[in-house]
Amino acid sequence: MDFYFGLIQIIGVHTLLGLSAYCVLLTGQVSLAQAGFFAIGAYVAGMLTVIAQWPLVPALGVSALVAGATACAVGFPALRVKGLMLVVATVAFGEAVRLFFFNFTYQVQAGNIRLGPHGGEGFRQIRYFPENGWTTLDVMLFIWAVVALVMAGLWWLNRSRAGAVLRAVGEDELAAQSTGINITAVKISAMTVGGVIAGIGGGIFAHYTTHIEHVQFGVVLATFAIAYPILGGLSNVFGTLLAVIFIQGFLIEGLRFMGDWRNLLFGGLIVLAMNVRPRGLLDAGAMLALKRLFFSRKERSDA
Amino acid sequence: MDLLDLIDAVQSVADGVLFGATYALLGIGFTLIFGVMHKLNLSYAAASIGAAYASLLILAGIEAPAIFVFLMAAVAGGVIGGLVYLIAFKFIPLANPLATLMSTVGLLLLIDEIIVHSTAGVPLNYPALFSDVIIPMGPFNLRGDLIFVFALGCVCMVVLLLLLYRTKLGLATRAVSQQPIASELCGISITHVNVLTFVLTGVVGGIAGAMTGAAIGMLSPLLSLPLTVKGLIVTVIGGLGSIPGAIIAGLVVGGLENFFQFFRGVSERDLYIMLLLFAFLIFRPGGIFPTTAGRD
Repeated sequence: MDFYFGLIQIIGVHTLLGLSAYCVLLTGQVSLAQAGFFAIGAYVAGMLTVIAQWPLVPALGVSALVAGATACAVGFPALRVKGLMLVVATVAFGEAVRLFFFNFTYQVQAGNIRLGPHGGEGFRQIRYFPENGWTTLDVMLFIWAVVALVMAGLWWLNRSRAGAVLRAVGEDELAAQSTGINITAVKISAMTVGGVIAGIGGGIFAHYTTHIEHVQFGVVLATFAIAYPILGGLSNVFGTLLAVIFIQGFLIEGLRFMGDWRNLLFGGLIVLAMNVRPRGLLDAGAMLALKRLFFSRKERSDA
Repeated sequence: MDLLDLIDAVQSVADGVLFGATYALLGIGFTLIFGVMHKLNLSYAAASIGAAYASLLILAGIEAPAIFVFLMAAVAGGVIGGLVYLIAFKFIPLANPLATLMSTVGLLLLIDEIIVHSTAGVPLNYPALFSDVIIPMGPFNLRGDLIFVFALGCVCMVVLLLLLYRTKLGLATRAVSQQPIASELCGISITHVNVLTFVLTGVVGGIAGAMTGAAIGMLSPLLSLPLTVKGLIVTVIGGLGSIPGAIIAGLVVGGLENFFQFFRGVSERDLYIMLLLFAFLIFRPGGIFPTTAGRD
C-alpha cells in the first residue's frame, strides 16, 4: 500500500510543478525555468528544516517567497524577449541554478555528522518526516491538501477577471495591450505566481525524497514541467492533473511491466498525443463534451 | 601566472575554438529551422547524435574506410531530418507552437531511448581521423583530429552559404523565412521548402554529430541534452536567423568553454556560459548580428 501512497505523493508534487508552468503558459510564455524555482524551493526549505530546525510549514512559506522573488527578478530581463529567445533564456537560468547548487556547499556540524548541501554530492539527511513521526499516509494527505489548495486558488483565478486578463495576453498580446492591459506586469505576475507554486512544490519534494542533488533539477525536469500543462490542455487546471496522472501513473509506473520498451513508448506516446490532440488531452472541446454529458438532464429541463 | 600556464591556457582555448565548429553547425541548424517554420525543433541535437550512431551502424555492415563514416552520417542525418518533419510537424496545425514544441521534446526522448535501447546504454567508440597527427606551431600543438573537424565544419558552412545565397532553393528558403504568404503567392510551395529545410539541416546535423563523435572519440546518448542547450545558446548569442552570427558564436562559445574550464574547473564551466548568455539577453537581446526588424 505504501507504494501506491508514494506514487500518489509523486503525482501530487509533479502536479504542483505542472501548475507552476501552467500559470506562465496561460500568458503564452514558454518557461523552462520552473525546474530552477523548484530547486531553489527544495534547497531553501531543506536548509531551513535541517540546519535552522524550523517546522515544515513556515519553511515552505519562506521557500515559496524566495522562489517567487527569484521568479519576479528573473522575469524582468527574461520577459523582454519572447518565443525561442525566452525558451533559451529560461533554459539558461534553470541550468545556471542547477550549476550553482552543483558548486554550493554550506554545512554545519551536528553531532558526529555534517549536515547541509555539499556540492555535487547533494543534500542528504532531510529527515523531517521520519523524525516527526509522519507516516506515508500523513505525508500523502498533507501533499494533497496543498495541491487541492493551489488548484482551488488557480480555479478561482481562472474564472475571475485576472484569469481573463492572463488569457487575453496569451491569445493576442497586441489586442490585449490595446485594451489597456499592462502586458509586462501581467507576465511578471504570472511568472511570480508560478515561482511561488514551484517553490512550495520543491520544498515538499526535498522532504519526501530526503536527499536532493543537482542532477534532479536539470532540463529534463523543466521539460516535464511544461509537458504537463501542454499535454493536458490549457483550458483548465484539471488538464494538468490529468496529464500528470497520465505521465507519472500510466507512462512511468503503469507500463513498468514492459521493461526496456517502456522508455521507448514514453517519447513515442507523447509525440502521438500531440499529433492526435494538438491542443491538449482536455481541451475546450473536450470540456464542453464533458459538461454536456454531466449536465445534459439539467439543460433539457431548462429547455 | 607564469609563461607555461599562459601557453597551456592559449592551447586549451585553441582546442575549444576548433571544437566550437560543432556548436556553430548546430546553431546554424536551429537558426535555419526557426527561420523557415518559426518553430523550435528541440529534437535537432538528438537527431544529429542519432545520425552519427546510424553511420556507425551502416559502417559495421559494410567494409569502408573511416572517412565514409562522415558521408554516412550526413545521409542518415538527411533521412532523420525528413522523418522528424513528418512525425513532429506535418500533422500539427501551424498556429499552435506549443504542440510542436512538445512533440519535438517527445521525439528527443524517443531518439535518446532508441539509442540507449539499441546499444544497451554503452558508449560506442567513434573513429577519429588523423588523431595521430600533431602539428607543432611554436610552443603550441594543434591536434590533427580537431583540425580535421574544424576544416570539415568550415567546408560545410561554405557549402551551406553557397546553397542559400546562390541557388533557387536558397532563394525560396530565404523568401519563405521572410514572408511566407508573399512567397506562396509567388508560387513557392511552403511545404516543399519546409521539408527541404529539414532534410538540409538534418544533413548538417548529421555531420555535426559525426564531428562531435570524432572529436570526443566516442558517442553517448548523454551528449544530446548538453548539445541541445549549447546549440540554442549559440543561436541566441549569434542572433536569431543569422548564419554568420551562429558561426562566430559557435567558435566563441567553444573557446570560452575551454577558457573557463582551464581557469575555474569543469564543474563551473557551463555556469559562466549561461551568465554570458544572460549578459547578451540584457545588453544585446538581438545577438551579435540582430535581424532587421519590421518584416511583418
